[in-house]
Parts: sequence; C-alpha cells; structure tokens
Amino acid sequence: MTHLTPEEIMRIAEEGSDAPHLRECNACANAMLEEVRLRGAIRNAGRRYTAPDALRARVMRDLGSDRRRWRGWLPLAAAAVLVIAAITMIVVPRPPDARELIDLHVTMLASPNPVDVLSTDRHTVKPWFEGRIPFAFDIPELGATPWRLVGGRVVYWQQRPGAMLQLIRGNHRISLFIFRETAEPRNHAADGFHLRAWRSGELVYVLIADVPDEELAQIEKLFR
Amino acid sequence: MPLFDALYNYARWLVHEPAEAEDLVQETFLKGFRGFGSFAPGTNFKAWMFRILRNTFLSSRSGLRAVPSISIDEEPDEAIQIADAGPTPEALLLQQADRQQLQKAIEQLPLVFREVLLLGDVEELSYREIAETLSIPVGTVTSRLLRARRKVREALTR
Repeated sequence: MTHLTPEEIMRIAEEGSDAPHLRECNACANAMLEEVRLRGAIRNAGRRYTAPDALRARVMRDLGSDRRRWRGWLPLAAAAVLVIAAITMIVVPRPPDARELIDLHVTMLASPNPVDVLSTDRHTVKPWFEGRIPFAFDIPELGATPWRLVGGRVVYWQQRPGAMLQLIRGNHRISLFIFRETAEPRNHAADGFHLRAWRSGELVYVLIADVPDEELAQIEKLFR
Repeated sequence: MPLFDALYNYARWLVHEPAEAEDLVQETFLKGFRGFGSFAPGTNFKAWMFRILRNTFLSSRSGLRAVPSISIDEEPDEAIQIADAGPTPEALLLQQADRQQLQKAIEQLPLVFREVLLLGDVEELSYREIAETLSIPVGTVTSRLLRARRKVREALTR
C-alpha cells in the first residue's frame, strides 16, 4: 500500500480535505491525528505572552499624537467596536448546564487521551458503547463529508452517562454529546465555541466546537 | 486595539527581551498607522501587520544577528517513513510533553522555522498569508512548516 506523504498528511490536517486512503490505512490515519494534535499543542504552547497594559497605553498615546492620520483607521476602529459588541452580546446569556458541557469539551481538547476508543470506523466506535451506556445511537457514514470520526468516550453530565464522539475537520475538533432523558441546552456561543443541541426521540444531541454555527447545523443534518 | 496581543506574543518569540518586544510592537503600530493609506483593501490586514513587525525586527540589531548566513532551503529534505502499524512514537511523546517542554523546543528552533510555526500554527494564517508575510513562495512555506514540526518532534524525543 502506498502511504500518504508527510506533505499530503499536513495538507489534509490543515484543510480537512477528503482522502479515501485514510479510511483504509491505520498508519496514515494515526499520522494525521498526530499532526492535528501536534498543531493543537503548538498553538497552545505558542500563545505565551500577553501585552502589558503600559505598552497598550504607550501605543495609544503615540497614535493619539498622530491624530491627523486617524481618518484612515476609522473603519477599522468601527469594526473593532462591532466585534467587541458582538462578543459581549453572545457571551451574556449562558445557561449553566451548557457551560458544563463546554467545560467537558475543553477538558477533552486539553487531554492527551481525548478518546477511549480511537477509530475512524463507525462500525468500531458504535459497538464499543454497547454495555457502557444504557442506550444505542447511530453514527452516519462520514466518508463523503469534510468531517472525520476520531473516536469516542463515555462522559457524565447531570449524573447521567452519555456518549461523546469526537470529529475533526482540519484543525477543528468537534464534540458530539449524546444523552438520554434530559432537557437539551439552548443553542448559544461563548468563548469562541458554538453549541448546537437538538432532540431526536428520547435522545438529546449536543454539538460543541470552535467552528461557525452553520457548520454545526450541517453536522446536525447528518446525525438526524 | 486589533492584533495587539498577537503582535506582542510574536515579537516576544522573536526577540525574548520584553523591552525590545515592546519597542517592536510600538514601532509596528506607528508604521501601520502612518502607512495605512498604502494598505490595499482586500488583502489580509493581519498578514500586513505581521509583515511590518517582521521587517522592523529584521532591520533591528537582534534581527540582523538572527538572520542565517546560509540558505536553509539547501539542506537535504530527508523523507519521513510512516510505520505500517502500531501507535506512532509521536502519540506517546505528545502525551508526555508538557507545555513548557514544547515552548522550549519552539524557542530553540532557528528563526526561519520558529516564525513559520508561529504564523501557521499559533496565528493560524493560511499558507498564502504566511508566504505574503515572509515574502517567500507557498511551496517554501509548506516545506519549512514540515521541517519545523519535525524539529519540534525531534526535540521532544531527545
């Protein structure tokens, strides 16, 4: 079997593009997951320094003395104000139960072992949950989609066991939580994460990731 | 102020000394501010600001010291073989490597690798934007990123 080159693995990890070979080859699938994990770890380690307030003040003072040039920056300043306003608006309503799920997702992102069953094959992941959680669910075929299944684990939320599936697209890791007999949290966004929840029969599904809500809506369609 | 922390973070990774990094950021904003008229709408503002910071750094004393005297692209690019089975060694080492070890590994990278890693993995610029910022071809961005990550992996296994 011809393996993917490191360049191809890097590009797939970057763009989340489709590579049928990854579904057949564990070595390349593992190499790609490691690539994604290393990038995440580098990103985390690389965000190391925060600008001191004194510097901010110094730069503002500098720019202030260059006042005649402010006109050029006005659209930018306006855009910054809009962004801050948008962030404030979406952060304020945060139901407490949803916060717990986002914490679970973040814990998973930080964990060196985010999944207990590591497989891109839904026929491996789904049976793994049998006997571990008190309900069954279906995992759709993701082969033709930009998302790839990575694996899953059992999680607890509101004293109930549930399933957490992990999907990836490029650098983005997406958690899908599945619980039974519980109320679904409200869709919302906080701290750069979007949460999208829906009910299907007695099961409640909750998607969380740092991707736009539209993308979560597309994943929702696949699982409905 | 847009990009303030990101530019400061990048500057600190380039020069280490807090005071020097602060001067770099201050100068970058002044240059950006004064040259905003020359910023072409539709191009990437973030890449543009990072390019100003990098050019300011390169013309500084530590920047001149940091520039390598030989072209790094002349190094042979040894191939990586993918094992046929079993967990990759990276899986194990990444589990063990903590943030500080990783930071040390990034710190010890030669400038050309460190900056491509910071722009790509930390700032999440696209290959094209990195190419624009560093004034190098996109193909060079790809090969430098590959080699930078390989060097990080090697540093972690040492």
